[in-house]
Amino acid sequence: MKKLERWLACVMILLLAGCASLAPVATEPQPPPRNEAVAALFDLSRSQSAAGKLDMAGASLERALRIEPQNPELWQELARVRLNQRQHREAENFAAKANILAGTDTQLRAENWRIIGQARTSLGDYQGAQAAFEKAEGK
Amino acid sequence: MAKRKRKKLNKKLVFLFLILAGVLAALVFTLHLDSVVRERFEGKRWKLPARVYARPLELYPGLKLTPSQMVSELSLLGYRETPEAQEPGTFRLREQVLELVSRPFVFGDGPQASIALRVGFVNGQVQELVDRSKKSALGLVRLEPILIGGIYPGKNEDRVLVKLDEVPQHLVDALIAVEDRRFYSHHGIDPKGIARAFFATASGTVQGGSTLTQQLAKNFFLTPERTLRRKLTEMLMALLIEFHYSKDEILEAYINEVYLGQDGNRAIHGFGLASSHFFDKPLTYLDLADTALLTGMLKGPSFYNPRRQPQRSLERRNLVLSIMEREGFISAEQFISGRNAPLGVIDRPPRGTSPHPAFLSLVHRQLQRDYRDEDLRSEGLQVFTTLDPQVQLAAENALTNRLSQLEQRYRQPGGSLQAAILITSTQNAEVQAVVGDRDPRSKGFNRALDAQRPIGSLVKPVVYLTALQQPHKYTLATRVADTPLVHQQAGTEDWMPENYDLQYRGEVLLRDGLIHSYNVPTARLGLEVGVSEVLANLRRLGVDRRVPEYASSLLGVNEFSPLEVTQVYQTLAGGGFRTPLRAIREVLTADGVSLQRYPLNIDQVVDPAPLFLLTRTMQDVVREGTARRLGNYLSAELQVAGKTGTSDGFRDSWFAGFSGDRLGVVWIGRDDNEPSGLTGASGAMTIWGQVMASLDLAPLVLPEGEGIEHVWIDQASGLRSAADCQGAIILPFIAGSAPEQAVPCAQDAEKKSLKTWFERMFGR
Repeated sequence: MKKLERWLACVMILLLAGCASLAPVATEPQPPPRNEAVAALFDLSRSQSAAGKLDMAGASLERALRIEPQNPELWQELARVRLNQRQHREAENFAAKANILAGTDTQLRAENWRIIGQARTSLGDYQGAQAAFEKAEGK
Repeated sequence: MAKRKRKKLNKKLVFLFLILAGVLAALVFTLHLDSVVRERFEGKRWKLPARVYARPLELYPGLKLTPSQMVSELSLLGYRETPEAQEPGTFRLREQVLELVSRPFVFGDGPQASIALRVGFVNGQVQELVDRSKKSALGLVRLEPILIGGIYPGKNEDRVLVKLDEVPQHLVDALIAVEDRRFYSHHGIDPKGIARAFFATASGTVQGGSTLTQQLAKNFFLTPERTLRRKLTEMLMALLIEFHYSKDEILEAYINEVYLGQDGNRAIHGFGLASSHFFDKPLTYLDLADTALLTGMLKGPSFYNPRRQPQRSLERRNLVLSIMEREGFISAEQFISGRNAPLGVIDRPPRGTSPHPAFLSLVHRQLQRDYRDEDLRSEGLQVFTTLDPQVQLAAENALTNRLSQLEQRYRQPGGSLQAAILITSTQNAEVQAVVGDRDPRSKGFNRALDAQRPIGSLVKPVVYLTALQQPHKYTLATRVADTPLVHQQAGTEDWMPENYDLQYRGEVLLRDGLIHSYNVPTARLGLEVGVSEVLANLRRLGVDRRVPEYASSLLGVNEFSPLEVTQVYQTLAGGGFRTPLRAIREVLTADGVSLQRYPLNIDQVVDPAPLFLLTRTMQDVVREGTARRLGNYLSAELQVAGKTGTSDGFRDSWFAGFSGDRLGVVWIGRDDNEPSGLTGASGAMTIWGQVMASLDLAPLVLPEGEGIEHVWIDQASGLRSAADCQGAIILPFIAGSAPEQAVPCAQDAEKKSLKTWFERMFGR
């Protein structure tokens, strides 16, 4: 009898552990089905950015946007490129556009607000930057 | 004796002097010729027009594209259908599989090699892309862009100058084979050639003795005089040309200079213009048979004119092909397929060398902001534009077809109606198509850019946006009076706007004013928020100039060009982000070095929330309002947003609208400003519908912005209602602005009144 109890306990523990490890996987948002061409252009743009070819990185993202004009990740990346180009006003605008298209994706929105915060800091708008960073923290 | 000697000496001196004088004269003459040659040569050589390209087609799995759309794109690129697609610029279509070999091309981001490609289609989509030589799948392939025209020196397009690298190799081969076999080895004149020509002429066959260089020299003269002196001068010039310039430079000059026919009082000089004149294609897209035809004409441009003497010029073409085969320039198979090719000459010469002059003039104008006109016309710049040939052709076809139909239906004299269309991409403001005349090839007045016309009700969305930006005062459910209105202002006549149907409805909901385009409620609303406020908003949205302010500005009395209207609606379609309309992506030098990119930039000028309310209502304009007949053209699922516009006395018919991916603005009217009898809905909207129906539109799905709530509203009172009551609709509101007061459900109200009646009847 005791053996059976121990057995049951073991099974229970295993089940719980299994559930616990499975649960977060199930609730994590599925990545949107990505267009291969868009993904390739996104990667190309990243490598161009890394090589300091910011103009070309922007051009590659524009190519991707022609295929998926409503993809908020592309608009966000364009904001990042403009930030690196020290075009802060443009960076803020692109991040705002990404925000409108982001829907309920809180992670993406938070990152947009961080970019807006950085852009505003560089523009000397410290209050606006503060407000943006707070939005990024979900406040 | 001495005397004689002196005389002899004198004679000798005179003789020497004469020789010296002769040599000197020859030297002076040679120097003179030298300067003439150099002047003529340099003057011609350095003026290369800017070359203008359409957008390149990007292929990727999942792209909506049918095999026939792909074939039409390829034929615009000058690709030929062949049994086996082996050479660059050829393709082969077998039902749902298209094989092609692209041409190498230098883009702004670097050179792109030729690729042997297989494209598989399924259900109107590209399913797979395969590199045929590597047998590997590809994710993205960019075809080379279509050449759509040039920006030429001088006002008259009397030359279409080409660079040697855009000249088909077949043309060079044909010229060498037929006109000057030893071109690459002689020094300007070819004694062997002359001798051969002499004997050939004597024996009765046809052979010209002039080298290409001599022929070029001959073209520098104005008259075709035939004397020995002229011949000798020509030879001297040829030697001088060879002394100064390389073979490639000479060949390029020859190709651009040589006389190939007459078009009225205009001489056709150069193969570039001849290609446009006879084939309506850029020279670079001509195939073997086409180039052989043009080469054959050199011998006698009017004698072998393919329009007047088709049979004779066909035989001459085939003779050229056979010489090319004999000389080893082409294979026997190429000879046979070339010989069997049709003449390929278009019936009438095209008007102008660009098929899309209205778009080209927009490009030219945008370029003039950054470049000197002189450089545009001479530096050989390469201009990469945003023109989408599929969209442009759809716009041209719809406009041409519908205008004649409308003239018949509304009893307008044939040819009296004019129109303009602009189509852009909503998210990046790239201009995909421009038509500025009912004849799309006409280079005259470009109405899309330059016609200034009252915009009528197209201004109304701006009036309503201005109101909706004050959510504490105005919502979509606000009641607005629809009763006679007299606006008095010192110094001006009283203004009494009327509704289109001359009726008054007492009171309407704000949204209905826009949906049904009621003038009186719109005017009242506009006067409340202020004419200046409305016009300030119009400027914010995209009009870059001040316009006179009248109360009637609220109903669109101000004049704008279709281009200006497009800029305003672009901001609405782009989610409140203002993006300057762009017709150019990038400019490269003649050698492919990037000079300038025109990157995408956006500027948020309107808050998303009020714009969301406005756009929803513009979707209702199409669903239930003045544009509901658009349903004859487009599926309701596309949920397009739009607005009709009609000016006083039916002089202007407008429609502006957008889907998820495309914005279009259409104007119809008469150049003499007489009434056309058309409303926005009966005229411009039908063209808009026809164009958009032929394109594969993406539905307009509005992202639900932050701070928007949806509330059931009783349509009669504009007050809150329970869900699904009769006469109730669900409307978006900026959070906190929805009416608090509620009315009972109409049905409930009936029940309630019935109940009270029973109560009264029977008591408790």
